Amino acid sequence: MNTLTRLCRLWALYARMDLHWVTRDTKTFVTWSISDTLLNFGGLLGMMLLAQRFGGIGPWSQAQVLFLLSYSAVCGGVMEMFCGFNVAYISRRIGRGQLDHILAQPQPIWMALATEGFCPFTGSAVILPGVLLMAWAVSRLGLRQGPGWYGALALNIAASTVVALSFQFIWGSLAFWAPRAAEEINSASSRLLRQLRPYPLEGLAPALKGALLGLLPVGFLGWAPCRALLGMDSRPTSIWVTPLAAVGFGLIATAVFRKGLAHYGRTGSQRYLAHGHRT
Amino acid sequence: MMSASGMAGDGPLFLIDYLLRFVRVALLLAIWRTLFAGRRAVGGMPLTTVLTYTLIGEVFAEPMAGFTTMADAFWDGTITARFLRPMSLFGQFAAEAGGLWTVNFALFSAPLLACAPLLGVRALPASPAAAALFLMSLALAIVVGLAIDYISGAIAIGMELSPWIVDRSRRAVGGLLSGAIIPFALMPWGVGRALAWNPFAALASAPLQIYVGKGDPVRLMALQVAWAALLWPIAMRAWMKLRERMVSYGG
Amino acid sequence: MAEPARSDTSRTDIALELRGVNKTFRQRQRSGRMGDIVAGLIRPVYREIAALRNIDLEVARGAIVAYAGPNGAGKSTTVKIASGMLVPDSGTVRVLGMDPVRQREAYMSRAGVVFGQRTELWMDHTVAASYDWKRVVWDIPRERYDRMLAYVLDVLGIAEFYRTTVRELSLGQRMRADLGMALLHEPDILFLDEPSLGLDVLAKRSMLDFIADLNRQRRVTVLVTSHDMAELEQLAGRIVMIHRGEIAFDGPFDQLRREFADRRVLRIDTDSPTAPVLPGATLTESLGCRHEYAFDAGEAGIAELLACAANQVALLDVETHRAPIDDVIANIYVRWQERSRQ
Repeated sequence: MNTLTRLCRLWALYARMDLHWVTRDTKTFVTWSISDTLLNFGGLLGMMLLAQRFGGIGPWSQAQVLFLLSYSAVCGGVMEMFCGFNVAYISRRIGRGQLDHILAQPQPIWMALATEGFCPFTGSAVILPGVLLMAWAVSRLGLRQGPGWYGALALNIAASTVVALSFQFIWGSLAFWAPRAAEEINSASSRLLRQLRPYPLEGLAPALKGALLGLLPVGFLGWAPCRALLGMDSRPTSIWVTPLAAVGFGLIATAVFRKGLAHYGRTGSQRYLAHGHRT
Repeated sequence: MMSASGMAGDGPLFLIDYLLRFVRVALLLAIWRTLFAGRRAVGGMPLTTVLTYTLIGEVFAEPMAGFTTMADAFWDGTITARFLRPMSLFGQFAAEAGGLWTVNFALFSAPLLACAPLLGVRALPASPAAAALFLMSLALAIVVGLAIDYISGAIAIGMELSPWIVDRSRRAVGGLLSGAIIPFALMPWGVGRALAWNPFAALASAPLQIYVGKGDPVRLMALQVAWAALLWPIAMRAWMKLRERMVSYGG
Repeated sequence: MAEPARSDTSRTDIALELRGVNKTFRQRQRSGRMGDIVAGLIRPVYREIAALRNIDLEVARGAIVAYAGPNGAGKSTTVKIASGMLVPDSGTVRVLGMDPVRQREAYMSRAGVVFGQRTELWMDHTVAASYDWKRVVWDIPRERYDRMLAYVLDVLGIAEFYRTTVRELSLGQRMRADLGMALLHEPDILFLDEPSLGLDVLAKRSMLDFIADLNRQRRVTVLVTSHDMAELEQLAGRIVMIHRGEIAFDGPFDQLRREFADRRVLRIDTDSPTAPVLPGATLTESLGCRHEYAFDAGEAGIAELLACAANQVALLDVETHRAPIDDVIANIYVRWQERSRQ
């Protein structure tokens, strides 16, 4: 069976399981959905209120701020949809000694991580409102773009998600060396991404702006791709900046994770906690 | 000491969380400067006041959020073992939270306060009286926050929800409802005026307004006392009723 | 993923082979004192623990081997190395002719691992859904899956709760479901790390019977670790005992008894509530006129003991049997501890 076919089979499997869970335990699904929505839109609401009060933020009009917020919401939704079950919070799996469950499977580790977190139904609670918000923002902006623009939008959303996931993996890999201390480091890094990604970076000191496009790449989760998509960055190559960043961060994350995995193979895990394992 | 030992157990990685919080504060301060460019004051608050409000909000973020380790205790099932200790359950969680807040204050908040001049923020309270009233208001905020935390736990048990659902929902909206992130005076459409009456406002908005010298301290603290008087009986009654379910809930 | 080749990759009848395997861990030391907390951040103190020292172990195909030792002896470390989850510091590991680490994916399609304190099941789904998950992820051919599913449902008695959510199962049911899940891909070798932990007597017996049947009928090689010696003695013909990372004994249970202590129990019913004094035997219990003694058959003969007792009291009834294996092992562990202190 070729890799793509296998991936599709696995995604179909996890989609089935997600649907079963949603229909079997609807109360929990509803409460998780409400909680996810609050979590992902709570921060955005603050920004929307500020944009309304101040008539925009810096060079961003209210409608442009709305687009920025919707973009970050959609990215968050894509993460929820593809990176559930602590795939995005990889430090928990590593720190709790749950990586052994993946090592016991007769498939590549990347394949397990690329598929196990697929929750199209539970993840819909975030992505659907995000998509609706984006549709509203596009209509307010009066954007009349062709398929090329939508293709660029999809590419940049995917790239932003890769940047976010890579960031999680880079920080989360610290759990290989310090499983107890770093078990929840992805909670901290996720909070950073979620809280800061809807902010425009204009007005920041160059050093801080550079940090937010480098060491802590929140700039690629909203600000940079939205500037490119809305024509606020006139350079023709601007549309490729975030995808390029995704390649870079992806490579770094892969290298760090592999190094950590080699270390894990030598030391194993002296602790095991079942919290969050397949629940 | 147990908090310090637990946090530093595996090395200095806990410092990364502090780094992330510092970056968030720096970004928030920059956002305010961008928003206030060309404006003297908005909602009666000049930029300097808003910057102070934001910084002090981060310095005292933890006691103003009111989270204890209760959700963890439910999640990992250790809640039952706590009944075996010769100490009230509320007292245990409050003591542990206090320990953690103290350690975080020493390791993060105090250095952040010291960095205020470097960040271009005036960290001093509006007046010595404001400082004294702030401390009183902060104590009330902690009292209200603990009550809210215990009620959240009771809701999780009563509705048979995962404690994490209630916890993260609170975190998601708490920042906005408490006024910790955005002062109520800066919200449009009168939203801030309406939110000033919600219980979460007693956690952050009240003490922070007192600190920066905005708002009537007497009225703000009276509202805090009223919320404490209302919420604590609810919290205690809820726990009495759910005690038995609580023992079999976790683990 | 192509169906994993089931052809024999081994050149011999050896299913598991460990040669000169060493494994050392570093464990951070903390005193809890405030000064040490700060100092520990700058210069942490570590203790080196040799979990495995020069382990040589061979297990033939179709064998059941018990792997025992006190807590911290290195049992779980051995299982993790043999199942490919841990890399040894030195030495070679070959299982079914494969390197469990380098050939992990192919190896995992032929091996099964059950850790007593961990589950592979999906807690919020039914057993059926978990099994279906395994079928897809392991890419088990439909014919084999149906055959093994029918087998585990029948022999392990899983049918009664097959469509129940895992979270609602009792511990015994969950353990059975876990064991069944580990077998769906028809492994050639099975690692069981404390599989009967927390099970009641009936559930334990049922699991042992199943494992024995599995070995007998399907020639599955089994390496099982447990603290329940009676369980291991019932199941396995060979026991490997590990102590402080080294193999301290490798042979049949009978030989273990003979080498370390042939502990016996002597129970006599007499006409007197006063227990007779028997040199070479220790009085362990006295209830009315029934007296029970423990002795080492290598040091004191039964005939001499009975003659000595008959000189003191009238013997009404006599019973003798071997000490439970748990007592034998406990004595061994005590002896090891004493030797370590010297």
